[in-house]
Amino acid sequence: MRVISKEDFTEFVNTLIKDKSLNVIGVKSKGDKFAFGPLESASELRLDYDVTLLPPKKYFFPQRETLVTYEVDKGFSAKSPADVKPTVIIGVHPYDIVALLHMDEIFRETKSDPYYFEKRKASIIIGVNIQKMSKWCFAPYMGCAIIDYGYDLMLTDLGNRYAINIGHAKGEELLMKYAKNVKDALARDIQLVGQKKQEIMNMAQQKFDFSTELIPELLSKTYGESGFWEKHSEKCLACGSCVLVCPTCYCFDVKEDADLSLEYGERIRTWDGCLLEDFAKIASGENFRPTRPTRYRHRYFKKGKYLFDRFGFISCVGCGRCSSNCLPDIANPVNLFNDMYHETLNMGVQVAPATEPEVEIQTEGSIDYVPKLATIVKKVPMTAKETLFEIKLDDGSNIGHKPGQFVEVSVFGVGEAPISVSSSPTKKGMFELCVRKVGSVTTKLHTLNVGDKVGVRGPFGNGFDAEFLKGKDLLFVAGGLGVAPLRSLFNYVLDNRKDYGRVILLYGCKEPRELLFGDEILALANRDDVEFKPTVDWCPENEVWDGNIGVITTLIPQVTFDPGTTYAIVCGPPIMYKFVIADLKGRKVPDDHIILSLERRMKCGVGKCGHCQINQIYVCKDGPVFNYSKIKGVPEAL
Amino acid sequence: MKKPKVAFFDFAGCEGDQLQVANLEEELLTLLGQVEVVSFREVMKEHSDHYDIAFIEGSCTRLHDEDRLKQIRKNAKIVVAIGSCATIGGINSLKNYQDLDDVRRTVYGEKAKLFDTYAARPIDAVIPVDAYVHGCPINKEEFLSVVKSLLLGKKPDIPNYPVCVECKKNENVCAFERGQFCIGPVTRAGCNSCCVNEGTICWGCRGLVDNPNENSQKEVLIKYGLTVDDAIGKFRLYFGWQERKR
Repeated sequence: MRVISKEDFTEFVNTLIKDKSLNVIGVKSKGDKFAFGPLESASELRLDYDVTLLPPKKYFFPQRETLVTYEVDKGFSAKSPADVKPTVIIGVHPYDIVALLHMDEIFRETKSDPYYFEKRKASIIIGVNIQKMSKWCFAPYMGCAIIDYGYDLMLTDLGNRYAINIGHAKGEELLMKYAKNVKDALARDIQLVGQKKQEIMNMAQQKFDFSTELIPELLSKTYGESGFWEKHSEKCLACGSCVLVCPTCYCFDVKEDADLSLEYGERIRTWDGCLLEDFAKIASGENFRPTRPTRYRHRYFKKGKYLFDRFGFISCVGCGRCSSNCLPDIANPVNLFNDMYHETLNMGVQVAPATEPEVEIQTEGSIDYVPKLATIVKKVPMTAKETLFEIKLDDGSNIGHKPGQFVEVSVFGVGEAPISVSSSPTKKGMFELCVRKVGSVTTKLHTLNVGDKVGVRGPFGNGFDAEFLKGKDLLFVAGGLGVAPLRSLFNYVLDNRKDYGRVILLYGCKEPRELLFGDEILALANRDDVEFKPTVDWCPENEVWDGNIGVITTLIPQVTFDPGTTYAIVCGPPIMYKFVIADLKGRKVPDDHIILSLERRMKCGVGKCGHCQINQIYVCKDGPVFNYSKIKGVPEAL
Repeated sequence: MKKPKVAFFDFAGCEGDQLQVANLEEELLTLLGQVEVVSFREVMKEHSDHYDIAFIEGSCTRLHDEDRLKQIRKNAKIVVAIGSCATIGGINSLKNYQDLDDVRRTVYGEKAKLFDTYAARPIDAVIPVDAYVHGCPINKEEFLSVVKSLLLGKKPDIPNYPVCVECKKNENVCAFERGQFCIGPVTRAGCNSCCVNEGTICWGCRGLVDNPNENSQKEVLIKYGLTVDDAIGKFRLYFGWQERKR
């Protein structure tokens, strides 16, 4: 530990500010509140603050950030990282430092986020021990009020001087280069710092009635208590304030911003929040978390359960910003969890701390947000709403997808949409997308012609395990556009027909004119190695249909199969799964023989933005293909 | 691509939204590279009935205005409502809570009988509207963004979340914490919380979000010290038409 007099500290900060190669950020007053902002003079620093309006994450994960720029016809490029200057942030409270460490884990999991880390790596964090604690703060209960890691330097106010703990060589170098009269701490200073830390641990006005280790288990016991969640969220304005000010929230939206010339533009990401009404809404209008209680519950589960199971930490640092920003005063985690604890006890349920999850965070390379340029080489209208696009990557490579995977397709100026690949990987040099005109991107895509350019990222997701399915009998159940992802596997199976057992395809759509892949699919009737049954929900008088009429489930009794050797592969509109699964179970198909492909709002494709999340699962990363036995207990899935 | 023809129309309103468009200045010139303006009373004399995009400002406050609106709808491929009066009925809807005969007499005095009137309403209460540029007045940037979206064949990106989202991103001190009363928590965002950024409050000019929790918002206003009548008044200023409809 070192010490520096307040005068020398002021001089240190002013010297930092004078060095124009650095961004020097500190806590300043803003009205009666405080905010991190660029320092023009050390005199602006307010290290006696209680809490800042926003956490310092805004310097690493800004409110608005360019991911990619594009020029029509020239394609997409990554944003130039030239503007990443070393940034010194002065006055970060320990809970906000812990929050940054959480964000580090989240942004590096699976694939690391280059934009976050380019700024994070260029940062030097000078922490300060809490002098005044916000009345909403409960950091001591979360183990985040005092820390001995995660910072480069940590200051403690000792009256006429600061004690400085050195956490990292970067901090020490900064002191050596910019500070004068830094001395080794005396025993007295060390003792005083210890005392201050003790005081901080007793400062919280918010009090938990139980040990916060119980939170993940308490949540598990309360998920289905809809009355509890309705009671707590009744006054929720769905304004998103609680999540937007949260130091560990990281959900984002991705938007397109075109220049007025329409010739070039940017793709930006902005903060989003799972409390907001349209967070889980997809282009077709389906909203997978449509009510306030379900979104409110999701927030607490994400913090207290899902991230705990994945990373081993409760992703709440106790800063109290959510509580202080909630006008109807329903966002205070202390109130919610205390109530949850007492209600659980009243129900006579015993709660023990959750066992430490086994955490194994893998990182493999970095996320590439830059789409590859591709060309539409064929465009075949199939119905009034659906068109089949054949697309080639301009660099001549294969996309290298597995059946069931999806790609993110970019249309210049409009945006990006997740679309499953409809062609089999056996078809090389190109891939096919069966696209329904439903949102902006797909509508615009329909106006493009052969020769026009699009962008492609991916493939994403897990896809079907075509290897595992070898030797098995396959029962494909496709409803409407659900045939598009299934076709990638179905055609793969046909191309390797001898490797698989019986192949049955049940395919239903609303009416004959909505039948997709018409000729190709109807030709299956002539094959003796495929059993094919189509159906339509109804047939208008002016159309011809000599097959089955009725919803897709009316076909299931019409086929015989051995449930022990058959795997059902199901994809269709959200409403279809429940009924198809019930009928398959009625036919004794074991749960683990049912394989589903699910649709959600896959925005980033890399398990970060949060939009496609079903409870703890990211559809874009863990799916879109799921074994029913694995997700039947996941309440938001079906 | 042939430049789309654009026309501006006004009904009951202050024409402040068209003024915002006229105020685009340099950007207006760039915009004119993309569209051909065939009718815009505030800046030009010429007029044509051949247009692709109609921008309509103002609310419909008289039965016979409906014919004119229907004619515009017939002529235009795309109809865009601009400004609160057109998008949500705006402050004109305040009169809907009063006796309409009194209203007429107040405005026209002895000649009141000569002027017909009915409940003020937004454009989409009369004809289908394809896009909205909210605000009182509209924000120039958002106007451009909607125009760009239309030119690109894209659904304009109009948020369905409240102004609080933008206030938080802009790191504003909450108006309630400054002792003021704000209805940003139920008001559709998209203005970049411009009024609160300047130290005042959100008045609600962009209308309610799709699914507002109005009861909770009124409770909040009362909890922070507003009377019930004043809380209702806050909602009526801009949400008059939307509240009646709900």
